[in-house]
Amino acid sequence: MSNKVKVIPCSGIGKVHGLLAREMALKIVNEICPEVSQTECLAYIVTGDQDIRDRIQSGKCITIDGCPKMCAAKSVAQAGGIIAQEFRIVDTLKEYRGAKPGNATALNEEGWKIVDETAEKIAANVKDIYGEE
Amino acid sequence: MEPIKVGVISCSGEDCLGGTISRLAARKILERIRYGESVTICLPLFIAGGEEERGFAEAYPTITVDGCGKYCAKRATEKLSGKVTDVVQVADIIGKETAERTALSSRNLTPEHREMADKVAEEIRIKFDRIVEGNFKK
Ligand code: SF4
Ligand code: SF4
Repeated sequence: MSNKVKVIPCSGIGKVHGLLAREMALKIVNEICPEVSQTECLAYIVTGDQDIRDRIQSGKCITIDGCPKMCAAKSVAQAGGIIAQEFRIVDTLKEYRGAKPGNATALNEEGWKIVDETAEKIAANVKDIYGEE
Repeated sequence: MEPIKVGVISCSGEDCLGGTISRLAARKILERIRYGESVTICLPLFIAGGEEERGFAEAYPTITVDGCGKYCAKRATEKLSGKVTDVVQVADIIGKETAERTALSSRNLTPEHREMADKVAEEIRIKFDRIVEGNFKK
């Protein structure tokens, strides 16, 4: 079973926050550091199937949640995953006061800037966590 | 008669293209095709939320939109919320091999991907209208 760091976003469907989380995770696992990170489908984790529980329990996880409901973090914890770090988009957006990043369907230029910059920061943590393994 | 609202829940899977398409198609229904007549919920709120969230599939006739044959949205909804009224499965529409490709950032979507999302949205619309026309009310 892979010990890559699992980056799990909430992908919330109703607001831009979920899309920001999703795009950050995809950028990290597909572009910035695919050699040390991977993602899993959160909906699969929510099913509670043994197969995904086994996978989520191998290696450490970073969760990225859109809002204080913390769906990704709670679902990963319920599946027995070890969460090394929890990120919240609402906190990230405090660094971009007044930002209008787009909507739940599509990001605009401002949204992509937030994704690119924050994904780099989270990826640095991914690499540190992988290095500690 | 009070118009019914129909729930649309996508798996939004992060690990394969089918999940990306499921999310895009669901957003299309919610935002344009059946705007005002459709409602959704973040699927993991069935774990992280409260009684109100878990009551979603009891409150609305619900269509789940899944990226692949694992049917995570359907199974999670039925396990944690209630029986779904209909299902749409992306791989049935765009092919298993395509649906299992790597999940795409919305930045890298091509016209071909948008066409896939349109096809899936049309399938959702057909099932959606069937529910409304059947005057199905939970
Ligand atoms: S954390 Fe918030 S935005 Fe993300 S899935 Fe949960 S309710 Fe939706
Ligand atoms: S149905 Fe398939 S694409 Fe959707 S969450 Fe499950 S495994 Fe991922």
